[in-house]
Amino acid sequence: MVNGIIETEKLSISYWGKPAVKEVTATFLENDITAIIGPSGCGKSTLIRAFNRMNDFIPGVSTGGQVLFHGTSLYRKDLDPVEVRRRIGMVFQKPNPFPKSVFRNVSWGPAINGYKGNLDELVETSLRQAALWDEVKDRLGDSALDLSGGQQQRLCIARALAMEPEVILFDEPCSALDPASTARIEDLMIELKKNYTQIIVTHNMQQAARVSDKTLFIDGGVMVEYGETEQVFTRPSEQRTEDYVTGRFG
Amino acid sequence: MGAELITKRRLEAHKARRWREGGVKGILFLCALLSIVTTFSVIYILARESYTFFERVPVFDFLFGTRWTPLLEPRSFGVLPLFCGTLLIVVGSALIAVPIGLASAIYLSEYASERVRSVLKPILEVLAGIPTVVYGYFALTSITPLLRQVFEDTQVFNAASGAIVVAIMVLPMVASLCDDAIRAVPTSTRMAAYSMGATKYEVVAQVVVPGALSGIIASFVLAISRAFGETMAVTLAAGATPRITLNPLESIQTMTAYIVQVSLGDTPAGGIEYQTIFAVGALLFIVTFGMNIIAHKVLRRFREVYE
Amino acid sequence: MKSGLRMIGGNIRQRRTFSRIFRYVCGAFTWLAVVLLAVLLIQITRQGLGWVDWQFLTSYPSRFVEQAGIKAALFGSLWLITLTAFFSIPIGVATAIYLEEYAPKNRLSSFIEINIANLAGVPSIVYGILGLTLFVRWLAFDRSLLSGSLTMTLLILPIIIIASREAIRAVPDSIRQAAFALGATRWQTVRHHVLPAALPGILTGVILAMSRAIGETAPLVMIGALTYVAFVPESLMDPFTALPIQIFNWAARPQKGFHSIAAAGIIVLLAVLLLMNALAVYIRYRSQRKRQW
Repeated sequence: MVNGIIETEKLSISYWGKPAVKEVTATFLENDITAIIGPSGCGKSTLIRAFNRMNDFIPGVSTGGQVLFHGTSLYRKDLDPVEVRRRIGMVFQKPNPFPKSVFRNVSWGPAINGYKGNLDELVETSLRQAALWDEVKDRLGDSALDLSGGQQQRLCIARALAMEPEVILFDEPCSALDPASTARIEDLMIELKKNYTQIIVTHNMQQAARVSDKTLFIDGGVMVEYGETEQVFTRPSEQRTEDYVTGRFG
Repeated sequence: MGAELITKRRLEAHKARRWREGGVKGILFLCALLSIVTTFSVIYILARESYTFFERVPVFDFLFGTRWTPLLEPRSFGVLPLFCGTLLIVVGSALIAVPIGLASAIYLSEYASERVRSVLKPILEVLAGIPTVVYGYFALTSITPLLRQVFEDTQVFNAASGAIVVAIMVLPMVASLCDDAIRAVPTSTRMAAYSMGATKYEVVAQVVVPGALSGIIASFVLAISRAFGETMAVTLAAGATPRITLNPLESIQTMTAYIVQVSLGDTPAGGIEYQTIFAVGALLFIVTFGMNIIAHKVLRRFREVYE
Repeated sequence: MKSGLRMIGGNIRQRRTFSRIFRYVCGAFTWLAVVLLAVLLIQITRQGLGWVDWQFLTSYPSRFVEQAGIKAALFGSLWLITLTAFFSIPIGVATAIYLEEYAPKNRLSSFIEINIANLAGVPSIVYGILGLTLFVRWLAFDRSLLSGSLTMTLLILPIIIIASREAIRAVPDSIRQAAFALGATRWQTVRHHVLPAALPGILTGVILAMSRAIGETAPLVMIGALTYVAFVPESLMDPFTALPIQIFNWAARPQKGFHSIAAAGIIVLLAVLLLMNALAVYIRYRSQRKRQW
């Protein structure tokens, strides 16, 4: 097996005994953008939330199998989930900036984690990386809730970037946004490829095709196919994959 | 870079943080436990002191005796007069507050416009916020004279005065809870009733109110419980004469007023007169506690049905 | 009487008229509450307003109506709510935080919740008995400000807890999720995000609890707040009196003259309450303006 940055081995997740993800085995390579696609309720969000242990907050959840990050299990008993979330960040479906200033939104994460460097620089760098700096550089003290939806989502990306993670997880990040904002965020993701590994859950197949290097198709909790995006969309090896990407179901 | 995750330094940082988080959680938990400690303290104190009381006075004599003269010779410790006095207040106030409260709730939730609602609801809240001693004063100086003009043989201290102001005190609670209960009935139920050609009265009185019935009843029980525990208004207005009577124009004494009377006086601690506080208090507590538990159970089941 | 929804032929006009009468009856009963409140306030104002003057506010009680004043009671009440706030706010808010953010969904937690709901319905005089035995006797704090404020704390704690819980619950969960995803611990999230957002609601609840505390008489009577106090308390262990106690004492006197200054005392008490509630409304208003979710 090639050494990927995140590897899962027979990862299974269930809620109160009902399985949501069944024995998914996959390797995600550094600096890849991987799209996870599948019909509603197939387990995409559950899968991605296992990578930063956000599933821990859901009552009745049980996780079997392994998730390895640089070869170390993320679910080790002596590993604090807080540590995990500092290295693996997340952007949510609906933009959820804190009801604080733009500056504070980006600086809060590093500040509570004892960041010793120059916060002003860090905030500017993160906002630049999120392609938001020019629009907010004069409004750093304004409330984040005054920004438009697309800007808020880019702010959430900047906020995640400020933590200098290695991996960023996107849980349907554009589904609440208009096409123009969506396009800007997709461009942003391609820019971020240089320094970050990204895993994006999406139900928008054109987006997956545009943006990702690899695509993982999951249906009913089972990983059906995982390969190069171009191959999955044009010459899928599974019939179910072909049915899904051609719109026959889902 | 993965090795960084678990270098020794980070492991120690985890430990420190884990201790701090655990400490915070522990302190918060202790605060929460205080409520349980409070309840147990109340029960323990009432039980222990009542126990010594009941070693001297048989429980049967206490509960069913008809003479209450613990401070004068010959002593008698039958609590019925006090209980009867309280009951007179409770029933009297319920007779007034229940229909008015329910009618207000119906009006506020079914008939009143948003503007009217936004005026009336705060007024009800103000009524609820007025201290009970103010109501006692009002009973004594305004209601009793009025009663004496209408019914000539009303005594200076009388149960009716007390019952009226307790009703006013309890009214906002009844109205508010009934209002919640009525609003919990889904619009679709009302629409179904209207679609069968019913008038508004028929929809409200014959479909909506019965649908909200357990919530409404719970509010009545809570109001009665509150009336049981009312102290200052009845102490000022209803009198200090323990007496078994059905006549609201006479002076009586409630359980709560008795407890106040003993506290204001100079009864030595440890004596049997002092212990009557706990016996009467225990009776009061058991009655109100029991009613509250029933009311909350009913309320919870009502909410489950509609959510 | 017609049953259910069956239209039994019957005169529609008759039913409609009945429906209209019903509406007016309900409305009348509701406006009755307004009338009662107006009567109450008018009566008290008439009887007492003339007696509220600077001399009244700055004198001590006396056997003579003209010289009696409310100074001791006013200061006593202010001391009392300050101390009560000092004890009850941290414990109440901490309990609410624990129940909303930390408590596992087990039987102990439900037990605590049921407990708090029940404590809210216990008559205030029973709290008085508790305070008398626990603070005045067992802990030997005697009939002091300390005993009074501790008793009041226990009385209003359920109010603060319930109001704070609702304020905390109203904070959207997406904020918490965002904070966790950045690697924040539970306490960091609560301290930096949940509490600031819930603060207006908590403050409103605290002020309402304090309004309740300032008007309560029965527990103070039980623990022995004196009714003839000719001094202003200066330390925790001093005996004291409070506004409602003084009012009660004057109202209970047979001489009519004292009824007038009782009314005056009530006006002072209601004025303080009005101020506190206005503050609560102001806080709620300001927070609605800033709120953006």
